[in-house]
Amino acid sequence: MTEPLHRTPLIAAGLLMGAGLGGFLDGIVLHQILQWHNMLSNQLPPNTLVAAKVNMYWDGVFHAAVWVLTAIGLRVLWAASRRPDVAWSGRTLVGGLLLGWGLFNVVEGLIDHTLLGLHHVYEYTEDKLPWDMAFLAFGALLLLAGWGLIRAGRRDVTPRTAYGA
Amino acid sequence: MMKLVVATWLTSLLLLTGPDAWACRVCRPRVQAGIHTADYTANLLLLLLPVAVVLLVGVGVFFAPALKARLTSPSAHD
Repeated sequence: MTEPLHRTPLIAAGLLMGAGLGGFLDGIVLHQILQWHNMLSNQLPPNTLVAAKVNMYWDGVFHAAVWVLTAIGLRVLWAASRRPDVAWSGRTLVGGLLLGWGLFNVVEGLIDHTLLGLHHVYEYTEDKLPWDMAFLAFGALLLLAGWGLIRAGRRDVTPRTAYGA
Repeated sequence: MMKLVVATWLTSLLLLTGPDAWACRVCRPRVQAGIHTADYTANLLLLLLPVAVVLLVGVGVFFAPALKARLTSPSAHD
């Protein structure tokens, strides 16, 4: 009897890698290039060299954590690629990546920005809420796009072994 | 030509004998103190919380079929 094909290993790999890469994008673009916020910038505003360096430390811890997330995602992708019962689909993987990125934005936005107030998306304004809400909305859009692609990937039913890899 | 060589040599000497570049040796103890406060563990846990949540979801999705099969299959004791 033929084993049914599974999609969850590829979705999980995409989700973990997407969340990790989304975290890197946040750290590189919003923390370092645009310098809109740091991990603890609402608790410890980086307005002195010492405060900026303390924030830099916590940014580093954050980057280390998302690196681990990405590495685990890569390991899961490797495991999925070696299984003959996993449907090999680009749409499913990219959908998982977008889903992971969106999930990261929503979870991080809700916990760090809204609930705990560790930092806000854009610190250099009086009204920080619209920026935080825009970040959450972007995350929700990514979730929808990822979910749509994963649904479309249901039609891809060829295992990787069928490609002669 | 000789003037150029002397000028280059003098400039190099000046650069070499200039003050060493160092990354805020004076404030380093204050930075270390600012990181390792009484709130260190709380900061670490709060900062890692979103990553842990996403990791749990990802691992949950990976093991979802196995968990579902375990939950839906009849137990040996039934």
